[in-house]
Amino acid sequence: MATETGTKFQAVSRLRGTVFEYVSLGASVFGIVLLAALLVYVSIDAFDLANASPQWLLTYFLTLVVPLIGFCLYSADDRQITRRTGLAVGGGLVVSALVFTGVEALVGPIDRLSWPLVYLFVFVVPTTGYTIFAANQETVGGVGFGLLGRLLGGTALGLAVGVLFLVFDPQLWMLAYTFGLLPAALAVGYGQWRPDSGMSSKALPIGIVGLVVAVGLRQVVPMYPTDFIIYIWSVSMPIAAGGAALVAGQRGRTAALSVGLVPLAVAVAGGFAAAGFGLPSKTVLLVLVTAGVPVAVFISRTLTDGEGTIGLVLPILLAAGVLVGALIVDFAGFPAPDPWLDPSYVTSSPSRTPVDAGLYPAIVGSVIIIALVAVLSFVLGVGTAVFLEEYTAGSGWMGALTRLIQVNIANLAAVPSVVYGLLGLGLFANFLGFGFGTAVTAAFTLSLLILPITIISAQEAIRAVPDSLRQGSYGMGATRWQTTKNVVLPEALPGIFTGTILALGRAIGETAPLIMIGAATTVFSAPDSIWSKLSAMPMQIYAWANFPQAEFRYGVVAAGVMTLLIVLLGMNATAIILRNKSEGV
Amino acid sequence: MSSDTDAPDLTRSGGIEKLREGTYGGFFVACAVISVLTTVAIFVTLLSDAVAFFAAVPYSEFLFATDWSPNTVGGRRIFGIVPLIFGTLMVTITAAFIALPVGTLTAIYLSEYASTRVRSILKPMLEVLAGIPTVVYGYFALVYITPLLEATLFPDISTFNALSASLMVGIMTIPMVSSISEDAMSAVPDSLRQAGYGLGATKYEVSTGIVVPASISGIASSYILAVSRAIGETMIVVVAMGSQARMPVIQEGLLGLPYFNPADALLDTGMTVTVAMVQIAGSDLTGGSVAYDAMFALGLALFVITLIMNILSNIVSERYREAY
Repeated sequence: MATETGTKFQAVSRLRGTVFEYVSLGASVFGIVLLAALLVYVSIDAFDLANASPQWLLTYFLTLVVPLIGFCLYSADDRQITRRTGLAVGGGLVVSALVFTGVEALVGPIDRLSWPLVYLFVFVVPTTGYTIFAANQETVGGVGFGLLGRLLGGTALGLAVGVLFLVFDPQLWMLAYTFGLLPAALAVGYGQWRPDSGMSSKALPIGIVGLVVAVGLRQVVPMYPTDFIIYIWSVSMPIAAGGAALVAGQRGRTAALSVGLVPLAVAVAGGFAAAGFGLPSKTVLLVLVTAGVPVAVFISRTLTDGEGTIGLVLPILLAAGVLVGALIVDFAGFPAPDPWLDPSYVTSSPSRTPVDAGLYPAIVGSVIIIALVAVLSFVLGVGTAVFLEEYTAGSGWMGALTRLIQVNIANLAAVPSVVYGLLGLGLFANFLGFGFGTAVTAAFTLSLLILPITIISAQEAIRAVPDSLRQGSYGMGATRWQTTKNVVLPEALPGIFTGTILALGRAIGETAPLIMIGAATTVFSAPDSIWSKLSAMPMQIYAWANFPQAEFRYGVVAAGVMTLLIVLLGMNATAIILRNKSEGV
Repeated sequence: MSSDTDAPDLTRSGGIEKLREGTYGGFFVACAVISVLTTVAIFVTLLSDAVAFFAAVPYSEFLFATDWSPNTVGGRRIFGIVPLIFGTLMVTITAAFIALPVGTLTAIYLSEYASTRVRSILKPMLEVLAGIPTVVYGYFALVYITPLLEATLFPDISTFNALSASLMVGIMTIPMVSSISEDAMSAVPDSLRQAGYGLGATKYEVSTGIVVPASISGIASSYILAVSRAIGETMIVVVAMGSQARMPVIQEGLLGLPYFNPADALLDTGMTVTVAMVQIAGSDLTGGSVAYDAMFALGLALFVITLIMNILSNIVSERYREAY
């Protein structure tokens, strides 16, 4: 700093400062590096990569990773990025081979680690992440990863909806949809089309009457169509119609018809075909619709815009890579790893024998709990945040109440989760009689647990809405509720969603409260109602971690941890994408 | 927006309108009150069963007995919180040895040294540390850290031990220390730094001699919060530390002063307050037994301790903050 040469200040030593800087840099990355190493080990265990032959790794590297990086570099179209990537991928190969062999020679073999794996995790994975990030900034990459994200997200959504129908009555849903939601939606649509008719304001009463009628009819009507037809009528068709409506405004009727009808036809055909192959036709139908409609909307939009259409090949490129890789491995007979985390793991029940053990009932339990928590904490969190930000005054008893609530929320955020478990046990399970370890008890307990986080993030989102918008609304004569509904909430909604999803990520990993309310460590069948005793992913991990066999410790649990982390990653990625979208606009 | 259909009613005389405003206002108040009710509910739930517990077990036993065995089949059941407090303190102090220095250095680095770009990468990655489910940390400690310690440093470490659990608790609380401390350091006005440089101080001297003292209240409050988080941490210790309430082996040392070897306690299994609660929950949930009530007594103790620490951290950051 103040070390001008030639003056007598030059005696100042830089050594201490430099050492301090690097020590603090080391401290900053200490936790991150340790966690990264642990994650590498858990993925090696979950996917059995320790037993992957170098040929197997090389095959997939060439058929899957190289095309992906190539696509990203083509999209990024930046000489500097290309050079850096080439350097990391090529130089990393040499460096990891040399360093790892050297270390092994000096120290001795390192358990379950080989230099191709080191190369994979230290160089290939970060480089791929970097190129994906770079590509995503450009049109072609944005199109490609946008399509991929819609495919994956839609599939996850379809599976989650299918899981929810295990618990919630589809026949009641059909009646509620037919008599309540559909007429209400039609009323809103008609109101938009003919603003003079005033139909929009009648949508809410129509919907409520319809729902009451539906609940009444459920007791009376004895005959129902099959579930498959119910799903087509009351899930697939509205999603397709929604997609079509989204496109119709901008791109005309032909595009809208094709966006609505093509995925619907594919889904129905897929559902029937799936029955022939012995797959669950209802789930296939749902997944094809929830993934198909967003994909169709996205493709239609991209084709109309005409920019970066080449990016649409990305999913095909990856699928082809997997297929070709599998063919080569099969043909050449390379020894392939036998991953613990495979389709049978997520579709089968827990078992005493490690090979048969699966996570299915726990996944279903987690999905149901999270769905309930999402609804509860969203309503409570947004309601509280709106009250604190829009409805209070700075002084008087209202001001005092606001300050009390604010302090209270800060204190609630610091209460240990195990204490919330005691609250759930004492209040919901024993006092109110919601039952030990049921989805309802778990959902209420976890909602209260994440409530402070939801409230605080919703408050931040609402506070970020510029005051001029509010003043404008009030100036036009709008009431407080009208301002909130029409101006503040639409502006703040993406931020609120982001915060809620992040808070849900906290809820999905919580274990201690579930133990306290008596959630089952292991259930062998998926729950069939929200009142049945269920398990959840972290509960199952906790139960298995106590098993002494190495296959459980290093295999089954690792796969469970990996599943949980993948779900968390998906949720956080959704939240981040939402945030970036809302900030970008 | 969507309600441009509503004709503006400038007189605002409609009864429906008023009713609607009132309904929604009431709904929001109700939502807000629920968060206060939660605190009340926690307190009442814990207190009612804790009172029942102290009707059956004398305070003196709870506070001074050196054994915790709530489910002994044959012998007498003893509810002494001392070994649990010992276990909790051991984990908390060890975790603090990691989280506090590492977190502080991280905060200094992020606030003083890191470029905007580096900070924008490091900060989200640090947040990840706090976002990993704690049961996963517990699994890491049990399955990877303990064998690693056994193979390298401590050959006689037991399968369930306090050390690896504490390490993971420490890692988990790093972001808590670093983010709050960094906020406090970033709030130190640049003029103070410039003054330091003007006097010929190096960057190191400015960071440690000006920024850290100026933000000491924020740093201290982050320490308190991190320690309170470590006290309440459950799943890491449940999975990795085992569940045997133990007291340290007191030895006679120099000049007849009693001492114990912390390494013995750290390398062996132990039990914290939270573990004791989880253990009872695994055996008895329907209520009515003394053990069930004991769980709530422990919960109350935990709740009160964390509440006090939280309030303390607020006081520290408010009272001793340098106002700029």
